[in-house]
Amino acid sequence: MAKRSWVLLVLMVVALGAVGQAGVPATADAQEKPEKISVIYGGSTWLSHWPVEVGMRKGFFQAEGLGVLWQGFYASSDRMGALASGDLDLAGTGSISAIALMAAGSNAFYVVAAPDSYATVEGIIAQRGIQTIKDLKGKKLAVTFASSAHVLVLDVLEQAGLDSRKDVDLINMKVSDMPAAFRNNEIQAAATWTPTFEKMRAMPGAKELLNDKEFSLFKKYEFGPGPDLLVVRREFADKNPKTTRAFLRGYFKAAEFMRTNPDEAAQILAKFTGLPVEEQKKGITDTTWYAPADQQRLLVSPGGFVQGLKQLGDFLVRHKQISSAPAVDRWVNVNFLPGR
Amino acid sequence: MRFLERRLGFVGFCSFLAFVSVWEAVTRGGWIEPLFLPAPSRVLQRAVLMYQDQNLVVHVLASARRVLVGFAIAAVAAVPLGILLGSSRLLRAAVDPLLSIIRPLPSMSWIPLSLLWLGIAESQKYSIVFMGSFAPSVLYVMEATRNIDPLFVRAARNLGASRTAVLYEVVLPGALPSILAGLKVMLGIAWTTVISAELVAAKTGLGFLIMNGKEYFLTEQVLLGMALISATVVCIDRTFTWVERRLIPWRVEATR
Repeated sequence: MAKRSWVLLVLMVVALGAVGQAGVPATADAQEKPEKISVIYGGSTWLSHWPVEVGMRKGFFQAEGLGVLWQGFYASSDRMGALASGDLDLAGTGSISAIALMAAGSNAFYVVAAPDSYATVEGIIAQRGIQTIKDLKGKKLAVTFASSAHVLVLDVLEQAGLDSRKDVDLINMKVSDMPAAFRNNEIQAAATWTPTFEKMRAMPGAKELLNDKEFSLFKKYEFGPGPDLLVVRREFADKNPKTTRAFLRGYFKAAEFMRTNPDEAAQILAKFTGLPVEEQKKGITDTTWYAPADQQRLLVSPGGFVQGLKQLGDFLVRHKQISSAPAVDRWVNVNFLPGR
Repeated sequence: MRFLERRLGFVGFCSFLAFVSVWEAVTRGGWIEPLFLPAPSRVLQRAVLMYQDQNLVVHVLASARRVLVGFAIAAVAAVPLGILLGSSRLLRAAVDPLLSIIRPLPSMSWIPLSLLWLGIAESQKYSIVFMGSFAPSVLYVMEATRNIDPLFVRAARNLGASRTAVLYEVVLPGALPSILAGLKVMLGIAWTTVISAELVAAKTGLGFLIMNGKEYFLTEQVLLGMALISATVVCIDRTFTWVERRLIPWRVEATR
């Protein structure tokens, strides 16, 4: 684990003795007592991990008899690689990395939930003179290759009739490097996501050119170019079904808390993301936080979310990012969700 | 002698073939998941696919240009400086602490500063290769110069040769074989900086190819990039040896 690059290691093992701490009722009964006392979760400051941070701070996982060991990764691909090699038990991930891992033939994980839908926290920030996507012709646009923002860029350029290889100079860049490059006029636009998205939007001379609502599949399925997934390592889940269920109960309780108490959640998360509290609250309220009850509709029947993922796989094949589109439903397993 | 060389070459070829065959058998037999180690045949398939897309040569050339330019600048700066340091104890005392500080720094550690100083242009990538190969090259050249037998230098001086004449007639011819051997080693090491050089704002190059393959779990692409780095280094090494034979034929004859 120590070898993982760009790791922000935040160790937060929550002692079982803290179960039932002030203000948090203990809900784990003897029947559902987890097989393990802690899980290793791979996350980052991206929004799909916010419920885990809130759950740890508010004691929702503790109430399930579970400690969460947080391991930070810069990119979803690193997280999924760690999951596949057995270093993580659970993770939140962008669907592109999950689809790529499926396409590579890995059966190492289950997709257990679609936690959120967002459209206004990822997009393209451009210099004020750039009014439309067509104005990007001949300009330098920074984007992290193999990210959801990369898919967004390829899609909106395609919609505008621009060739991503010839018409726009795409610069492969980490999100953290984009603000400095934009300030120095080395790039004229950047495709980025929260919290850098909001920080760049607030920079002098910057404007939001578009967000995920312009993504072609958003118009049809109402999800962005790299919708989030909650995944669990297959071997771990098969051996520890109660632990997996306990984690998901804690996760969805935290998501519910964020939905109903955005002010308090924003206070907690602002320290985590570094965003101003108001921006943080907007990020929470602009995001749709799905409940366990939504998962059947999204993932199984009629399963519009999974249909959308398949189309995303086709899109990646068309743009030569992966060699074949996987049958995503083979990885979906909703049996660990609360209430099942 | 030539017959022996051919036999040794044949042994090397057979050993390589045996390694690849075992690798192919192990991966085809399903003992190792392709995600972790794909078969060599899959790596070859990927190579053919990328060659047909006209991508592969672009990646090789982009990396070769970055390494060769960065290394050439480092060599041009390192050779005279190394000779000076090797010839003057005073200069060595003055510069050695600085070199000792720079030498252990990994090329990757220069990325933040290079971005601030040079932005995201190609010069930033050259600078990463330069910083990864400059200090070790200086040390190679300095040691090569210091290893000249002082007896030769004293004899030349006693015969009335000026300092410049000693440098051109004694030090350079004596140190050149070691300097070239050192630079050959350093050129190989310069290739190890290519991943760092292509980590930021690159969309071509073998380092980019490897990192992009990693993002999409295309392990065969990762291995292809690694194999191409090795193959390119071997080609450049052979070219360097050819140049070396023409520059210092006496050394080659002596080796034989």
